[in-house]
Amino acid sequence: MMRELLSRLRFFVRHALWPRQPRAELDEELRFHLERATKEKIAGGMAADEARRQALIEFGGIERTREQCHEQRPGWWLGTVMQDVRYAVRGFRRNPVFTVTAIATLALGIGATSTIFSAVNSLLLRPLPYSDANTLVWVSNNWPKIHMDRVMSPNFVAARAESKSFAQLAAFTYLDGNLTGAGEPARIIRANVTANFLPMLGAAAHIGRTFSDGEDKAGGSNVVVLSDRLWRGQFHADPRIAGRAIVLDGVEETVIGVLPPRFRFPDVQLEPDVYTSLGLESTASVTDRRVFLLSVIGQLQPGVSAQQAQAEMLTFFLARTQNYPAGFAHMAQGQEAAVEPLQRHIVGDNRKPLFILLASVGLVLLIACANVANLQLARAAQRQHETAVRGALGASHMRLVRQFLIESLILSLFSAALGLLIACVLTSLIRRLQIPETPQAALYSEVAQMLRLPFGKLTSAIEVDGWVLAFTAGVAFLTTVLSGLVLALGGTRTDLRSTLQSAALRVTSGREQRFLRHSLLLAEVALAVVLLASAGLLVRSFVNVLHYDSGFDPHNTLTAVTLLNSSRYSTAERREAFVDRLLPRLSALPGVTVVAAASALPIQPYDLGSAITFEGVPAPPVGMRPVVSVVSVTTDYFRAVGTPIFQGRPFNLSDTTQSAPVAVVNRAFANRFFAGDAIGKRFHSMARGSEQPAITIVGVAEDVRHGGLEQDVQPEMIVPMAQVPQPSVSIAVRTAGTPAALANALREAVTAVDPEQPVFDIETMDQRVSEAVAQRRMTMLLITCFAMLAAILCAVGVYGVFSYSVAQRMQEMGIRLALGASRRGLLRLVVTEAARLIAIGGILGVGAALALSRLLSSLLVGVTPHDPLSFSLAWALMTAVALIACTIPAVNAARTDLVSVLRSE
Amino acid sequence: MPPSTDLLQGTLDLLILRTLALGPMHGWGVAQRIQQVSKNALQIGQGSLYPALYRLEYKGWIRSDWGISENNRRAKFYSLTATGRRRLETELESWDRLSAAIGLVLGRIPEAAS
Repeated sequence: MMRELLSRLRFFVRHALWPRQPRAELDEELRFHLERATKEKIAGGMAADEARRQALIEFGGIERTREQCHEQRPGWWLGTVMQDVRYAVRGFRRNPVFTVTAIATLALGIGATSTIFSAVNSLLLRPLPYSDANTLVWVSNNWPKIHMDRVMSPNFVAARAESKSFAQLAAFTYLDGNLTGAGEPARIIRANVTANFLPMLGAAAHIGRTFSDGEDKAGGSNVVVLSDRLWRGQFHADPRIAGRAIVLDGVEETVIGVLPPRFRFPDVQLEPDVYTSLGLESTASVTDRRVFLLSVIGQLQPGVSAQQAQAEMLTFFLARTQNYPAGFAHMAQGQEAAVEPLQRHIVGDNRKPLFILLASVGLVLLIACANVANLQLARAAQRQHETAVRGALGASHMRLVRQFLIESLILSLFSAALGLLIACVLTSLIRRLQIPETPQAALYSEVAQMLRLPFGKLTSAIEVDGWVLAFTAGVAFLTTVLSGLVLALGGTRTDLRSTLQSAALRVTSGREQRFLRHSLLLAEVALAVVLLASAGLLVRSFVNVLHYDSGFDPHNTLTAVTLLNSSRYSTAERREAFVDRLLPRLSALPGVTVVAAASALPIQPYDLGSAITFEGVPAPPVGMRPVVSVVSVTTDYFRAVGTPIFQGRPFNLSDTTQSAPVAVVNRAFANRFFAGDAIGKRFHSMARGSEQPAITIVGVAEDVRHGGLEQDVQPEMIVPMAQVPQPSVSIAVRTAGTPAALANALREAVTAVDPEQPVFDIETMDQRVSEAVAQRRMTMLLITCFAMLAAILCAVGVYGVFSYSVAQRMQEMGIRLALGASRRGLLRLVVTEAARLIAIGGILGVGAALALSRLLSSLLVGVTPHDPLSFSLAWALMTAVALIACTIPAVNAARTDLVSVLRSE
Repeated sequence: MPPSTDLLQGTLDLLILRTLALGPMHGWGVAQRIQQVSKNALQIGQGSLYPALYRLEYKGWIRSDWGISENNRRAKFYSLTATGRRRLETELESWDRLSAAIGLVLGRIPEAAS
C-alpha cells in the first residue's frame, strides 16, 4: 500500500505544480474517444451528421465525466475542504458581529476553563516532582483525643526497624528560627530532617552535598543545607558557600550544601530556608521525656499498596501502646494510622474548591457552547435559501453538513487559540508572584497575589503544559461537535422544494428548528441558575465567616512578630527586658494610643497549650486533664486588640512576677468549666508547673478565633506575660492615624532595642483578617464571576433567539396588526413565549441546583445547601435578566411597520 | 445513457487490468475490447471508463503515455505497470474464489466439478 500512497503523492505534487495540464489532456482524450465512436458509426453506414449526433447521445454528459475524473485526483477531497474553508471565512467576514460575538464567547469560556484546568492539572493530576513520586506516602498516627496527627519520635525509630511495608522512612520537623551573622538578621524557617530525607525525594545538592548517614543522630555535627532562595537572597549566590559558618538561633553551624532551585518541600504550609539534621535519639521506648513529634514520609516497598501499609502501621501503633506510660496510653485511645499518597496529602484542602471551580467553569463553557450553537442556528436559518440553492446545484447532504462542521471548527480553533492565550497570561500571572520592589510592579503583583490565593503554596507549579494544550484542543473539538452537530441536524434540511419556496416567502421557521433553539435556551437558563445559586450560597457563607472576626477590633492596628528564641534570650528575664524596653519606644511614636505584646494575636495560631486542674476538684490522671490554650499578654493587650472584657477586670500593672498568679479566660473557657460563672475561681496550669500556686480568674473576655477565621473557638486562658513568658512575641500597636505608616518606625524601634533581632510579618490587623479569608474570598469571587458571566451569556442567548424569531415572524406580525391586533398584544405575544421558556428553564435550574448543591457543602458556613434565599434570589435574578433581554426584541415586534411589511410582499 | 449491465463494484477495475495485460491500449480500445470479448454483454460507457482509468493511474497500477493511434492520431495509451501486473494476479485469484463460492451458494456448479 506504501507504493500506492507514493504514487498518489507523486500525482498530487504534479497536479499542484501544473494544475491545468490534466484538464487539457482529458479533453483531448475524450475528443479522441468521440471521434472513434463517430467513425465507427459512419463505417456502419450512417450519415456523418447522424453518426456524430448518435455518438454524442451515446457518450452522455461530457461535463459530468470530466467532473468524475477530476474527483479521482489525489487531494481532490482536500481541495474541496479548502473551498469550504474559504467559503466559511468569506461568510464570517461578511457577518463580523456574529463572528466576533461567537469567538469572544467561546474564547472566554475556553480560556477560563483552560486556566482552571491547568491549576487542577498541576496540583492534582501531575505527579509530584520527586523521583518515584508514586511510591511516596505520608505516614501519620492520629490521636483524635488530643488532635495529634504526627508520629512520636521513638515510634519512628521503632517503625524504621520493624515495618515491612516501607523501603525507607524519613522524618522532619520544622520551626521558626533567627539567622544572624549574614547581613541583616532574618527570620527563617528551618526544617530538621533525617539524613535520608533529601535523597529519598531525589534532591541532590546543587552546590556541596546533603547530609550523610549518621549526621542526623543526636549530638551529631552542626551542619546545614541552604535553600536556593536563602542562598541567593541572603548570601548573594556565593559559589564558595560550602564550608562557611552561619549562626542559627545563636548556634554556629557549617554550610555543607545548597539545594537546587526547583526542589519543593513536600508540605504545603512550608518553604524551609535551611535544612538542619534532626537530632534523633536512638531509643525506641516512649517515656515522658525526650519525645517529640515528627512528620513522616515513607517510600513503599514495590508491590505494597498504601492500604496494606496502613493496616500494618495500625497494628504496629496498637502494639506500641502496650508499653506507653499511663497518660500516653489514655491519650492514644481511639488512635488511627493513616498512610496516604503524598500528593493527596499535599494538595489536601485545595482539592474540593478546585474541583468545584472546574465544574462551574465547565458550566460556563457549556452555556457559551449553547449560545454559539444558537447563534449559528439563527445564521443557518437565514442561509436556508442559500443552502437550498447549493443543494439544488448538486451539493450532497454530506457536503452541506461538512460545510457547517467546518465553520464551527474554524470558530472553535480561533476561540481555542485566543482562549489558550488568555490561559497563558493568567497562569503566568498566577505563577509569578514576586514582592514588588518598585511601585510600578505593585499593581501587577496585586493581581498576581489575588489570582494565586485559591491555589495555595504550590502555585509556582501551575503552568500551561502539554496536557493543558491537549485539554484545550479537546474542548475546542467538543465545542465544534456540540455546536456543529446541532447545526448539521437543524440547518441542512434538504427538502429542496419546500425550503426554496418557504425561504422565498419568509414564513416562520420550521418547528424542529425552533424546538432545538428553545431547548438550547432552556439548558442555558437552567445552567445559569445553578451557577447563580452556588454563587449565592458561597457569598452567604463568606458573609458568615466575616462575622467570625468579632471579639476584636481589627481597624487602626499595626502588628508584627518577633521570635525571642536565640541563646541571648534563653531566660524569661531577658525576654521580659526586651519587651519592657521595646514597648515604651513604640508608645512614644506619633499617633500611637495603646501598645501591647502577646504570644499570639487574634487569628494567629496558639503556640502553647496546657493541661489544667481545678482547685477543690480531685485531679484526674495525667492524660485525662482538659487542655486549654495559653496566651501570654502585656497589660494593655485587651485595649490594644479591642477585645471586650465583659466580666471582672483586665490586667493591670500590679500583676507582676511577684504578685499572685491571675488569668483572664475567654467565654468558651468560662462556659465549659464554670457554666459562665468563672470570676474568682482558681485552677492549676501545667504551664506554670503543678507546684506553683493556683491561678485566680479575674476576668472573662470575649471569644476570639485563633489559627484562622474558620477554626472553632478553643477554651483559652490569658495570662500576664510577666507570669508566663513565651518565646514568640507579637506586637500590636493601636494608633489614631494610618497604621501602615508606622511600619518603618516599628522596625527601627526593634533594631534600636536589639540590632540582632529580626522582626517580621509587619501588617495591619485588617490585612491579617483579609488574608485569613483570602482563599475563601477568591473561590467565592471566581464562582460569582462565572455566575455573572453565565447570566450575561444567557441574556445574550435570549436576546439572540427572540430577535431572530421576531425578524422571521415580521410578516406574521404584520398580518396580526392588519387583522386588528394591538401593538401591546404583539409585545405580550413575544414576552409570553419568552417568559414560558424562562420559567421552565428556571424551574429546571432550581431543581438541578437543589440536587447538586450538596457537593458544595464542605465550603458552606452557616447556610444549608438548600438555602431558600440563595435559590430564590438566583431564580429571580436570572428571570429578571432574561425578561429584560427579551423585551428588546418584543418592543421591536410591537413596532412592526405594517405598511413596509405588506409592501415587501 | 448507453445501456449497460451494472458491474459489481471493483469489477470494472479488474476488467480494465485484464484487458491492458494484453498490451498498451487507449481508452476507446479498452472499451471496445471488453465489449467484443463479452460478446456485447458488457458495454462500458465513457462515464465510468475514464474515471476508472484515472483512478488506476493515480494508484500506480497503470501508466499512460501519449502515442500515435492506428489512424495516425495522437492518443493516450495505457499500459500495466509492474505493480498493476501483481495486482491483477491477486485480483484474479480472489475473483476465482469469490465466483466459485457464489456459484456454490447458487447451486449452479455441481459439487464434483469444483
